[in-house]
Amino acid sequence: MGTISLRKAGKQYGTSEIIRDLDLEIADGEFVVIVGPSGCGKSTLLRMIAGLEQTTSGKLLIDGRDVTTAPPVERKLAMVFQSYALYPHMTVRQNMGFGLKLTKLSADRIKAKVDAAADTLKLTPLLDRYPRELSGGQRQRVAIGRAIVREPVGFLFDEPLSNLDAALRVDMRLEIAKLHRALGATMIYVTHDQVEAMTLADRIVVLKDGRVMQQGTPHELYETPANLFVAQFIGSPKMNVLPCSRSGEGRLDLSGEGAIELPLASEAAPVQIGARPEHLFLVAPESGHCRGTVEASEYLGGNTSVFVRNPRLGLINVSAVADSPFRIGEAVGIRIDGARASLFGADGSAIARRQAA
Amino acid sequence: MTTLSQRSPSSEFRLLATPLVLFLLVFLGFPAIVNLIYSISDVSFETLRQPRISGLSNFAAVWNDSAFWQASWFSLRFGALTAVLECALGLFLAIFLSPLIEKRSWLMAILMLPLMVAPALVGLMYRLVLHEFAGPVPYYLWTWFGASFSFLGPTSAFWTLIVVETLQWTPFALLLFYMAYQAIPSEIVEASAMDGAKRWHKLWYIELPLMAPTIVVALLIRFIDGFRVFDNVYVLTGSGPGGSTASLSIYIYEAFFKQGAIGKAVAASVILFVASFAVLYGLNHIASRRKGAVK
Repeated sequence: MGTISLRKAGKQYGTSEIIRDLDLEIADGEFVVIVGPSGCGKSTLLRMIAGLEQTTSGKLLIDGRDVTTAPPVERKLAMVFQSYALYPHMTVRQNMGFGLKLTKLSADRIKAKVDAAADTLKLTPLLDRYPRELSGGQRQRVAIGRAIVREPVGFLFDEPLSNLDAALRVDMRLEIAKLHRALGATMIYVTHDQVEAMTLADRIVVLKDGRVMQQGTPHELYETPANLFVAQFIGSPKMNVLPCSRSGEGRLDLSGEGAIELPLASEAAPVQIGARPEHLFLVAPESGHCRGTVEASEYLGGNTSVFVRNPRLGLINVSAVADSPFRIGEAVGIRIDGARASLFGADGSAIARRQAA
Repeated sequence: MTTLSQRSPSSEFRLLATPLVLFLLVFLGFPAIVNLIYSISDVSFETLRQPRISGLSNFAAVWNDSAFWQASWFSLRFGALTAVLECALGLFLAIFLSPLIEKRSWLMAILMLPLMVAPALVGLMYRLVLHEFAGPVPYYLWTWFGASFSFLGPTSAFWTLIVVETLQWTPFALLLFYMAYQAIPSEIVEASAMDGAKRWHKLWYIELPLMAPTIVVALLIRFIDGFRVFDNVYVLTGSGPGGSTASLSIYIYEAFFKQGAIGKAVAASVILFVASFAVLYGLNHIASRRKGAVK
């Protein structure tokens, strides 16, 4: 078992509120990734769940049991820290067996469990080394090993990959995903990297200023962001946001540029169109929804990011085919794939579109 | 093309080290050699410039002097006891006061005050306070409790000195241990909490092992300092009663100035030097072997 629920949970330091009335239900075996910009309270939230920070209001339940004020050990969770936090004076074997040793388990049983965990993580040849004799990736695996030997009801990861180099990060990401499939345990993973969030999560929780902006599968967050913040936070490169106004039934005007036909579900007037770079197309100047001049382009191999400047709409990022013929300074038109665009009202929240029949 | 950087590193090293080596030779090497000569000579203040080599007779005199062994035993006990007491007390205070000091760092300045006082002054102060006839402490002990206790008498002088030394130097250990305690990464302590460590487990399995190198250094420094104690003991008890509180330093001082036995005093210091060198060498050897275990 490993269900974790937060009911109106809050955290206050003096007068500043880090987490406000946060509700979150995490099912057994679910991989939940909490993302947000730095300072959004995501690490604090994880530490509240771990029991390393006091929850100052609301409730925290693990498997239905109220553990709001319980010490970390009673929550039966394991945590992997950003700095790995291995015990420097203990060997890998001692590091991994430390928690078991405190439970007064017999030395034979500890050895068996540590050996089994070391085997899954390919740590067996390193068991007698000290942490300082290991590389970053190996330390990371020891930290994970220390977590899994205790057979916790849930795993907490606090930005575990941010100290690794890019190539290793991709490998470890895959390994963590594999581990989740193998163990089937509940995992909560905090990161500021939306790529990690997209690739690992069953469900992403986007946090900003201690509040949940939106939660859902990576697909939901990418395709139907609930607000401008989520729209721009998820997806790389960032979504373009273009000011617009309603000019009639199912018609939107792009600030003095062309008009787009878009069926709306409500009478609410959208003021901004959100369009991802891959949903924009470069066309001849006279045939697009809007026009501009190419200001810069970044060749990325698979495709090219073309930045088009429009005096009223600002800088627009278009993802074009790699060998696009457009040159810097050239006038181009941009066509927007209306079916994939998102609409936002004045308060930044998304406006539903009528389902195309 | 020859540039400075291409010159052999050892020649550059020699060039840069020369002033220091000269300085050490003149100011440490010369007195050391003179001392070595005196230690095997028959010498007095009148014959300082014409010492007569007399072999190992000075060493024999020291070796056969029961006062030397009494002083050595005193210094050894005094150094070891004060080092252990100061470190134990300092460690306890560092860990239990650290939440308080973290919030109010000026407390540290107050706790450090005993270190600022000259040890001779501390000795003098306690000599007045504990004086059998004039001191306030024996006076009030007598008037309030009817207890008569001779702090500086033959049975208790040693322990009085131990307490005085410990009170003055515990802050030094406290300072070192507080720094070491603060330097323990909080995530490691938190990781142990996740692993199920209670307060006592954290202290025993995590914090003390991580502080171990500092504890060893503090014990060593305090032992050396206690072993060669001079000023506060000399002022507080002289070397009495009956030479029972003469430390090695006091023994050497008295041999030199009071008995005029320069050769004997110098021979005793040479023995002391060789002995401490042997101890240091041994400790260094142990430390380098242990290095594999502690970061």
